[in-house]
Amino acid sequence: MRAGGPSDLEPAELIMFSDIDPRSPTPLYEQIAARVRLAIAAGDLGCEDSLPSVRALARDLRVNPATVVQAYRDLAADGFVEIRHGQGTFVQEVSAFLRDEERASRAQQMVRRLLEDGARLGIGVEELSRAFSAEAGAKISE
Amino acid sequence: MNSAIELTNVGWRAGKSFELKDVSLKVPMGSIYGFLGPNGSGKTTTIRMFMGMLKPDCGHISILGASVPKDMKSILARIGYVPERPHVYPALSVGEQVKVHASFYRLWDQGWCNELMDRLNLDATQRISRMSKGETGKLLLLLALSQRPDLLVLDEPTDGLDPVVRRDVLSAVLDYVSETSATVFISSHLVHELERICDWVGVMDDGRLVAEMPMQHFKNGIKRLRVANAPDTVDQAPFTLLGRHRDNGVGSLETWVVRDWEAPMRHYFDHVGATVRDVIDLDLEEGFVELLRSSRPQHKKGS
Repeated sequence: MRAGGPSDLEPAELIMFSDIDPRSPTPLYEQIAARVRLAIAAGDLGCEDSLPSVRALARDLRVNPATVVQAYRDLAADGFVEIRHGQGTFVQEVSAFLRDEERASRAQQMVRRLLEDGARLGIGVEELSRAFSAEAGAKISE
Repeated sequence: MNSAIELTNVGWRAGKSFELKDVSLKVPMGSIYGFLGPNGSGKTTTIRMFMGMLKPDCGHISILGASVPKDMKSILARIGYVPERPHVYPALSVGEQVKVHASFYRLWDQGWCNELMDRLNLDATQRISRMSKGETGKLLLLLALSQRPDLLVLDEPTDGLDPVVRRDVLSAVLDYVSETSATVFISSHLVHELERICDWVGVMDDGRLVAEMPMQHFKNGIKRLRVANAPDTVDQAPFTLLGRHRDNGVGSLETWVVRDWEAPMRHYFDHVGATVRDVIDLDLEEGFVELLRSSRPQHKKGS
């Protein structure tokens, strides 16, 4: 454990939290919780995998420990993780339904942002969907 | 007692040039409180006031439940303080300075001090006069943390330090907080640094506390709005208008900066025949700048 030394987190954990943005209006605890939920939905985190300790994550992301605690509590309340006192925080068996729901809500967010950006630039749904088909078509034929 | 530090209507005057005006401030127990303000706004003076080093002309101060400066002695051991200017002896080595400092504190934790020294890469044999600014900064923090304080008061702890040392210093503070849930009061004019670690913010300007609120509130409540057909006067708005100006060129659009904003407040504009075209998020630094701009109306008019 060194304040200035290499991180205590696993490389995969570092990548998971790498794009936390303190300047975003989305609260940091929501961002942290969202990263964990996404990792669970994507299968990167499986049942009984442990999350980084509050102390290690707070030190590594240089965020308030209370922020990490809040994120983990929210995840526990939603049934994604279980907080075992003195042992750590562990990923729960997440039902396929919950996982699909998470993926769907993620997809919805992505589309919503796209539409908002489009509206700001005056690009309508039709134009966007044409671009979408073209891009998706290009990806498939690659 | 749920405030670690509480100032009530504190005033203090130093000659004609500087004055603290009616400062009331509350630092919740267990919080990490960021104290922002430009240079010369009174941050250090306020800290010296609640540390019992200056006596206020009026008002009341309490810190960890003790009245300041009257009962300061009884709680001094529970406060770790990193002052703006180093208070170490250049002629001593790091190890010697640690011994001197330790002798004042009953709760001094030498085991932890050694561990920290290792983590912060400090060498006990090194002479302080030969240390860089960054190393001195780390030594000051080491001294403050090794006394295991309930309250940590940091006055510009990272000012002038390079990014690597800044990280080390903040990480060591956060590590200590994770373990002890101590209260941290940290003053800085480096806004970004505080953005991720603080849960409360106080903003000083020109000897006054111009805002104090939870960080989330600060970050989410200050917005820039693009308003079409904006009314000339603003009556009974649910938000506070900090500033407004007409946009160049484009029709009748105005840019407003508001505080205490919440999404449903859009409806206010329907009632006055205006429309909000866009709500733009500000980060802490932009919000901070707008807040200062609005708190200085006399400067705008050019006195």
